[in-house]
Amino acid sequence: MSIVERLGRIDNRIIYTVLIIVLIWPLANPLGLPVSVGANTRRTYEAIDALESGNVVLFWAGYSASGAGDVQPQAVAIARHLFQQGVKIIFLSDVVEGPMLVENVITNIPEITSQTYGVDWVNLGYLAGGENGISAAAKGLKEAYPLDFRGNPTESLALLANIETAGDVDMTVFFTTQNSDMYVRQVYPYGKPLIGGLINTIVPQAEPYVNSGQLTGILAGLRGGAEYELLMKQPSLGLAAMDAQSIGHLLFILLIGMANLAYFAQRNRLARKVGE
Amino acid sequence: MSTNPGVWVAAILTVFVYSYLYKENLFYQLTEHLYVGVAAGYTVVIAYTNLQSSVWQPLTAKGDYLVLVPSLLGLMLFAPFISSSLRWVKRLPIAVIIGIGTALTLRATVIAQFTAQLKATIIPLTSIDSVIIVLGTLATLSYFFFTFRQNAALRVSSEIGKWVIMVTFGAAFGNGIMGRISLLIARIQLVFQEWIPLIK
Repeated sequence: MSIVERLGRIDNRIIYTVLIIVLIWPLANPLGLPVSVGANTRRTYEAIDALESGNVVLFWAGYSASGAGDVQPQAVAIARHLFQQGVKIIFLSDVVEGPMLVENVITNIPEITSQTYGVDWVNLGYLAGGENGISAAAKGLKEAYPLDFRGNPTESLALLANIETAGDVDMTVFFTTQNSDMYVRQVYPYGKPLIGGLINTIVPQAEPYVNSGQLTGILAGLRGGAEYELLMKQPSLGLAAMDAQSIGHLLFILLIGMANLAYFAQRNRLARKVGE
Repeated sequence: MSTNPGVWVAAILTVFVYSYLYKENLFYQLTEHLYVGVAAGYTVVIAYTNLQSSVWQPLTAKGDYLVLVPSLLGLMLFAPFISSSLRWVKRLPIAVIIGIGTALTLRATVIAQFTAQLKATIIPLTSIDSVIIVLGTLATLSYFFFTFRQNAALRVSSEIGKWVIMVTFGAAFGNGIMGRISLLIARIQLVFQEWIPLIK
């Protein structure tokens, strides 16, 4: 077996070790690799930046704890941007971990100390039912949530006084690790701008919705969060990880190249053997 | 080292989970079982608050007796636990869940995923993006013409369609890798930044 063929048989544990070292190194010694801002992130930023003080946004935390590393930086960046503009936020969730993750987002936002609960923001908590739950909340927010996550009757909350459906807010932002289809199906028909913060794996599936105008914008994973922080000029969780992300990708390109070389070398050797 | 006990628990469990990359071991199994248990406990608490919010509050505060109907349907799901001869009882609530879910999805799918996408593809060919979208869509559709004999033009078109599909798979795979690396970076940041501050 040639050296090239052996490249295809490297022990997985060696690859894992190299990957972890390759990711730690740029985190410890930032390289300052340039980060360009993509069209989707710019579109998202501009749509949110165009909101005015006093506007209300539905903020759907539909991501799981296992995907929070990819989506949470986006959620924090957008929530900060909204609060900085004086926009009021209604947090809600269609996944069971959602309320806990919303609390986690809030603790990462310095601006929260100047916001009043019930007036500037509320956390409605989790509503079961998946797409049915999304549909119910979009159709009648207070019917779907008689109580908020803290146990207050939603009819007593000043922020919800004039909000009945998803058509009464100025924008809906959702963050998901599942799929964007159900939000497009159930919330887009209310005619308000719809923005998605997505885990990277589902981005190709959501792109057609941007082309068709059903989604005003999307943020793609950690990279999307970093680009958004760059536009806000407030570096945080996302940008800090971008060097490591780029170096990690280089390693993967190298590994895929090596695996292909090994594959073709092995195929040629077998073909020669058959020829003999 | 961090003084936050939550960070300690999260970091130690992260190390236990990643120990699986070397080989399956007791620490990994312990974390796996712990995760299942904690997730089940958390779900029960959230379900309880959901029942309070969606059933108890409307019933007691507003006298909304209509909420008893879905509550009863929900309880019927537990019938097989009372007696195996009552297994059939759960079919009714399952039928209702599937029926409502299908109706809600289908109603919106036609607009969101068919007509809106169709409209987005019927565009003037004034930019390279538009040309790629239109030709890519047509070529991909032609790849799925299985029911009649292909002539030379259709063969070329379906071959292009195949390549478009491959590029889409490649993009999806690339995004998948990117997502997984992001998740690993988040764990590394927790262990080496928050727990043991080796990374500034």
